[in-house]
Amino acid sequence: MTDTISDCAAAVSAFFADAFAELDGWRNDLSGGEPAVRPTDLDAHVEGLVVPALTGTSPLFVGAGFIAAPGYVRGRDIHFAWWLGPQTGNPLLGSSSSATRLDLATRAYTDYVRDFRTLEWYQVPQSTNQTHVTGPYVDHLCTCEYIFTLTMPVRIDADTPMVGVVGADVSVRRLETAVLPLFLAADRPLALVNAVDRVVLSTEPTVQVGQLAPHSGNWLECTGLPFRVLVGPDPLPRL
Amino acid sequence: MEAHNGGGARDAIFAQLHDAGRTEQVTARLTDAIILGVLAPDERLPSESDLARRFGVALITVREGLAVLRDAGLIETRRGRGGGSFVMKADAPHSTLVQARLHGLAQVDLSDTADYFATIVEGCVQRAAVRASQPDSDRLDRWLNRADFSTVAGARTNAGGFYLELAILSQSAQLVRELIRLQAEFGPLLLLGMTDPDARQSLLDSNRAIAGAVRANDGASARQLATEQVRGLAEWLLNAKARIERGGAVND
Repeated sequence: MTDTISDCAAAVSAFFADAFAELDGWRNDLSGGEPAVRPTDLDAHVEGLVVPALTGTSPLFVGAGFIAAPGYVRGRDIHFAWWLGPQTGNPLLGSSSSATRLDLATRAYTDYVRDFRTLEWYQVPQSTNQTHVTGPYVDHLCTCEYIFTLTMPVRIDADTPMVGVVGADVSVRRLETAVLPLFLAADRPLALVNAVDRVVLSTEPTVQVGQLAPHSGNWLECTGLPFRVLVGPDPLPRL
Repeated sequence: MEAHNGGGARDAIFAQLHDAGRTEQVTARLTDAIILGVLAPDERLPSESDLARRFGVALITVREGLAVLRDAGLIETRRGRGGGSFVMKADAPHSTLVQARLHGLAQVDLSDTADYFATIVEGCVQRAAVRASQPDSDRLDRWLNRADFSTVAGARTNAGGFYLELAILSQSAQLVRELIRLQAEFGPLLLLGMTDPDARQSLLDSNRAIAGAVRANDGASARQLATEQVRGLAEWLLNAKARIERGGAVND
């Protein structure tokens, strides 16, 4: 049965590895560029890379793009080249049948954007030079969905400063569809949690998605991710 | 014999959608935002097509709505490069319009909406308290320490911003969506009392207490504080309505 549980952890790792492989392709493509770019050139480049991953029958990502470090894009302190997949009934953005560019001109974004360098999805890859998974969290700026944000640092040369991060948003629902059947096949309740023990998915009914699950028992790490699979998670008291 | 339970729920599925008077809805939404100070003078509104997409209405509906606002002197349309629809600088505060808005709402609807708003905020706050991690609490404190509640505009923006932060911490996408919708519809009105410096200070104190309860993962206290906060805002609003109905002004 330990095999089944390690299969679960491996499946989660494989799901994110596939997603990061896509990001790695974008990173390689973008890191071949000049040390400074014009906004229009960058936007066209990024759009060509990410939009195919946001459209189609069952896209892996709900949003994706490139966030430039200050100074990389000529004349811009802040530059977001970010696209969103088709939206249905989005409370902020309405509906659209095709990919749309995230518009940062509206005022609600300004406070958020001003200090994006301190935000986890930017700051962690910058300081560690590693890929990072932020979340799960409710994305109130774009999709209003429960998502993960995957980010990866982009450098022109290994020893030069980061020019930005490539990133993509994955809905928790998408991961659940891919791995929940395996979790249900185990003979014990399991819960997948992130680095602060927030539940991503669970087969123990008192331990629900979004809750924090303190855990005293065994667990398995998901290789390459800040996630682990709790085996027989402690039942949680009622809210 | 067929079971009849659940009939009400089945009927609700087919209830009429809220699509009557869409121009009026567009007008009301933007008018509230302008007269209650959420949209600032000289601020440019999103483009007509962007508004149509966001509101989920036809372009013609947006154009009709904007025409009403233009006739009311709330926006002006500038042509050419850098053009668009801009919020007009008011010569006098929009107090006449605010009075008209409050007069036009029945007390029973004001109370009911405040109750509904309170219910959503209480749910957000309680779950936020139970579900906030240590880093979440740190972020919430940082957010609150930087938020300005000393000015009218600052208090209005940040009061709504704080509710949103709490909804996010609840980890519920539906609560976030509902709060955004509710704030768009009712937020400006509910925060009318922010013209009062004492109300601003007491809101800030209340928010600090909520942040403390979130840090302590104390759902029950957080919920109680949220109940009291929204009740305070609603009482201010109902008092203002009563003053207007007696022939007075919005403020004392």
